[in-house]
Amino acid sequence: MDDTTKRFVQRLMKRIPAPMLRATLDKWDRLTREQKKSMDFTQSKWALTEKMLAFSEENELTAKHLTELEMIYIIDNPNKGMWYAFQLMDPQDDAHSVELIQFKEQFKSHLRELVRHVSIKIKKHTDEAVWIRIAWGDAFTRPNHLKPTYVVHYLHSPYVFVTSLTLKQKPLLSQALVLATRYQAIKDANLSGRKLTAIRDLLMRKYQQVFPTKYPSPLPENNQNPHIEKEQAEPAANRLQMACEAFGSGMLPQLQSAVYKLETKFRDHSNQTMSEREEPFRCVVKFESTNLLESLRHCASSGIASTPVTPLLSCIPQKGRNYFVITDNGPGPSARMRQPQN
Amino acid sequence: MERHHNSATRTPLTNVDIKRRSKSSRLSYRSCLGAAASRLGLTTARQLNTSRRALKSHSVAERVNPEQLALLVKTEWQLSYVTPLHQFRHTQLKSYSRRLAAFIAAGKQQGLAVAVENPQTTFRVSFSLVQGMTESADDAETVLIQIHAKSAFAGQDKPQRPAWSGWLSCVNGNPEYLRSLPKDFTCLPLFGGSGAEGLSALVKSWFQQSFDCCVGPLELSHTSLQWLLALWTNCHTEASIQQLKMIWKLPAEPPLQVTYTVNPEDAWELWRSVRKQKENRRDGEEEEENCIDIEEVTDFVQGLKSHFYRHFRLDLSAGSLNQVSTALGSAKHSGRMKISNSKYMITTLTLLTECALLKMPI
Repeated sequence: MDDTTKRFVQRLMKRIPAPMLRATLDKWDRLTREQKKSMDFTQSKWALTEKMLAFSEENELTAKHLTELEMIYIIDNPNKGMWYAFQLMDPQDDAHSVELIQFKEQFKSHLRELVRHVSIKIKKHTDEAVWIRIAWGDAFTRPNHLKPTYVVHYLHSPYVFVTSLTLKQKPLLSQALVLATRYQAIKDANLSGRKLTAIRDLLMRKYQQVFPTKYPSPLPENNQNPHIEKEQAEPAANRLQMACEAFGSGMLPQLQSAVYKLETKFRDHSNQTMSEREEPFRCVVKFESTNLLESLRHCASSGIASTPVTPLLSCIPQKGRNYFVITDNGPGPSARMRQPQN
Repeated sequence: MERHHNSATRTPLTNVDIKRRSKSSRLSYRSCLGAAASRLGLTTARQLNTSRRALKSHSVAERVNPEQLALLVKTEWQLSYVTPLHQFRHTQLKSYSRRLAAFIAAGKQQGLAVAVENPQTTFRVSFSLVQGMTESADDAETVLIQIHAKSAFAGQDKPQRPAWSGWLSCVNGNPEYLRSLPKDFTCLPLFGGSGAEGLSALVKSWFQQSFDCCVGPLELSHTSLQWLLALWTNCHTEASIQQLKMIWKLPAEPPLQVTYTVNPEDAWELWRSVRKQKENRRDGEEEEENCIDIEEVTDFVQGLKSHFYRHFRLDLSAGSLNQVSTALGSAKHSGRMKISNSKYMITTLTLLTECALLKMPI
């Protein structure tokens, strides 16, 4: 086993948390029963790594086999690293009938045409999700397994999620994807986050949406002054209704942040000088939270944010994006996005 | 005890045991503010000055030893207030260095938490005078303290970063208050420390024991943070602030953090328009051009908030301003502060000295 492969095994063993090691190795299924038995998972990682290296030599495992192990681990733990969403545009006539085998062959052949040395592994996961692992090389170097790119494409949808892709690799990947899926272009969906499941749910609308109808009253409140309660009950119910319409009810996908680049003019009655100014008031606003959508929904239902919720915020779940550039377009304060269509 | 002009204020003295000496002749800081306030026609003591002079670029770099200056800027300090020191002499700094070193060694022996890898480490303390930072004759000179860890390895002569460093300062302190202090007392109300927590606690404890003073945490109120926003933006034409960044925390479930970063030119334009409005309002009256009022500061921040509200319909006032930063420095509500540019150090330290004096429990 050469040094790079050894280093790969060491890094991988370091990365997989001890409690998950056994299950991942079982799924991988490349160790004999005796070898598995002799792995004492209470030992230190270092000791286990030494065993892994020994077994890999014994079984004559190559990088190809070992990278499978990494892939299994990543597929089961996709909520690490930064994921970026992309959307395929302008499908050709046969885009909707692309099946797995065709996609696999086409993707591999197109990417190999573009990149001299590349190692591609494609695996279909349970739910329509096709996982691709790419180790990049070039005309002179072998594929680098230490810095792979992972791509997840949902067949029969225009969505692709990518992690660990460099600027140089981006056009190559884009080209291969577009050709293999029979679309004409691919664009940045302006959505990113650490949890793949969250951004996937957001973009592909896999969470509970609320449609604008009246529905029964909100959470029971502590017993306060009955007059205050009565007076506040309706506004509170309205706020909650509008908050849920904007963001959804129940569990929301765990998005961590949203960034708005504002390039709109400053308009404030109390400040004439600034309001007359032609140039935009440039600023960047970043919202952060452990669960951004829940925070925003709470802001709306508790009154911190005025309802109805501004389209700037409700756009996050409705358009499935978390990066926006807002410019003036017409008399209103926000634009560049059409009103959400229900 | 103290005389308060505003009877609604209470003094948080309950847990503080302060030995008093000749208290009768010493005015409370707040009573001084009260007198000054009534003279200038401003209202309520127990608040920061509602008006301050925006000093143009300062040649502090020319007045202060550049090596010392380099130690003060670009480090993040944790701020505390210190009540006046009894019998502190600027001429005794060498003796203080030895005494503090001994105190730390004794503290280590007793097992007080001083995180060091090597238990053989001894500490070398040096007190030094930083001249040139005072503005008025009433201000006491700034004192810088550095604690270096001497490891057991001999011959390690390469310049190490100190394990802990700190300073005490008084910049533009309220002159009435300073003059009212009895001769034995030195007022260095602003304390900044950076380094190992354990050493910080030991240093503060040593000061309290040696000079019969009180050292407590200095938090920066949102008014102070807003002042810093305005003061720093005011300097933009001379030294680019590069960006005006604010971090607000909103009480949502889970908590929501908003980082609002404004382009420096646009922030400057907004500030200028607010200042112009004030000029127009006070047309005809004699006005110091250099004077900035609290109304201008609040108008400025209100402008920023309303631009935000116009887009997001989220009122930032529902939350709290937690942190402000520009290329000139940064400051957090928790009392952590960094000065990045020595040019505006004096203005910033003046504000902080005032905060410290206000926070003192006597």
